[in-house]
Amino acid sequence: MFEFLIHVSTMACLFGLLALSLNLQVGFAGLVNFGHIALFGCGTYGAAIAFANQWGPVAGLLLGGAAAALLALAFARLGRNLGADYWGIATLSIAEILRTFATNEQWLTGGAQGIHGLPMLFGSLPAPWGPLATLGLCAVLLAVCWALCQRLVNGRYGLALKLLREEPQLASSLGYDLAALRRTPLVISGLIAAVAGFLFAHYTTFVGPDQLYSAETFLIWSMLIVGGLGNNLGAVAGAFLMQFLLAYVPFVKDALGLPSEFVAAMRLTLVGGGLLAFLLWRTQGLIPERIGGRHA
Amino acid sequence: MVQFFSDVLIRTVDLALIAVGLSCVYSLIRFPNIALVQYAVAGSFLALLLQGAGLPLPVAGLLACLLVGGLAVLLNVTVFERLLASGSAIAMVGSLAVTMILSAVFLVVFGPDSRRFDLDSHPVIRVLDARLTVHQLTAVGLTAGAVIVLALLLFRTTLGRSMRATATNRVLAAATGIDARLITNTVVFLSGVLAALGGIGLALKGEMNIQLGMDVLLPVFAAAILGGLGNALGAVAGAVIIATAETLVTNVNLGPLVGEPLLFLPASYATAMSFLILVAALLVRPHGLFVNEVKRV
Repeated sequence: MFEFLIHVSTMACLFGLLALSLNLQVGFAGLVNFGHIALFGCGTYGAAIAFANQWGPVAGLLLGGAAAALLALAFARLGRNLGADYWGIATLSIAEILRTFATNEQWLTGGAQGIHGLPMLFGSLPAPWGPLATLGLCAVLLAVCWALCQRLVNGRYGLALKLLREEPQLASSLGYDLAALRRTPLVISGLIAAVAGFLFAHYTTFVGPDQLYSAETFLIWSMLIVGGLGNNLGAVAGAFLMQFLLAYVPFVKDALGLPSEFVAAMRLTLVGGGLLAFLLWRTQGLIPERIGGRHA
Repeated sequence: MVQFFSDVLIRTVDLALIAVGLSCVYSLIRFPNIALVQYAVAGSFLALLLQGAGLPLPVAGLLACLLVGGLAVLLNVTVFERLLASGSAIAMVGSLAVTMILSAVFLVVFGPDSRRFDLDSHPVIRVLDARLTVHQLTAVGLTAGAVIVLALLLFRTTLGRSMRATATNRVLAAATGIDARLITNTVVFLSGVLAALGGIGLALKGEMNIQLGMDVLLPVFAAAILGGLGNALGAVAGAVIIATAETLVTNVNLGPLVGEPLLFLPASYATAMSFLILVAALLVRPHGLFVNEVKRV
């Protein structure tokens, strides 16, 4: 039970990183990204490809980061002249294209079977300490990224991002370069997602295309909406809440003796129902965005 | 060659009706409703249930279409109208949530296995050189019929004129006495019927399962966006382009390009190709090929 708790907490920290990074795009800059999981995938496959070619984990991290930054730039280029809903569909398409590529290009990605046997991060430590150390590392990284995001969005730069979200034409008239204003948060958020992907790959020791279904992006979205769009604490809170809720679904199934379809259906209901309920009745989420300045 | 064109035609029929429904409803409600692909699945499953209850398939299909149309209106009134007040992106995320909840309902009610309509075996007909089944031809006929009826409705009736007026300028239309909300819900109903019919057409030609909706989601969106969201008949053209591209990708021998006798791309690249066309088209013409509307920033 203790090990299970550590596992769920680690996953919650990783998804907390993803939620933070998506929040930077959606919550602050107003960029409706439905292909976020592809940025995470850059991180996982960076780690996996570096492992398969024996380049070492540092190269994997760099490779993943570089790929995610490139992809983020491509997303930003697409967003230069697209309406929000069109951009959402375009990012979703790109994520699906990349997943199809990962499924079919066996020579690079191991195909549908993926790449197995990545080393655990603290594999040499004895039983309870290895996973605990991983959890610690993930938690520290989450705190660091949270501080980074807080620093980014408080102050002038954050105000510029919010202006881009609310009144892009006004932002443009004040002399802000909208393309650059979209590019920077996308790249930063891509790097955070890639780090999360790298950690995930070395934690689960397996990387495959099945981890990159769009459903994962939608799960991160539900974390944001439930936790509170435009609030970093809300994003992390949403990630923990959803991860723990979903982790206990199989236990409910066993306790009630329900068929195994129940798990999949219940997950869909929790994610979809959570999204819908909060959109309809509490749009601001559990922890609403703070409007106004430091002294307001 | 004839086989190639018939493959394109069949794939077009797969996508056309749902894309038309999506496009139609976008012209009045300014957000892309992702849940529409699930209406297609709902349509095919309801038709299956009703057929199982002893109705002949045409009656079951018609009833299923009407029920799904009703479901679309119900969801629009209870969910999407409220969400749209907070913006189109929020409404789109909401339609995604509805999609997931419908998936869960399908999973619990119908289970994960594929089903088929209770039909006679699929006799193969040879048209020129192409092999087609009767059920494929039925689906083609259904689609063509539905598109023609829709075009007549849009361009030859008072109701159609009101729809186009409301889509072009809602305020002005309201000022001339058109009940914009009624018209909107009529179009929502129509889009549900079209999607359900599309789903039944898909199921006629093969199997139906709960993944059907998610499988056609992006190709349908690609077709609708290529046609210019909001332009109902443009969506048909979009579907033709997507179907042609997908069929080309899997049928063209790329071997000579790389100096090998035979090289075909895996079939799953077909859909990837349609997404690629979508992304490329959006780069060049951000709002679809057949729309001249100016949208800033």
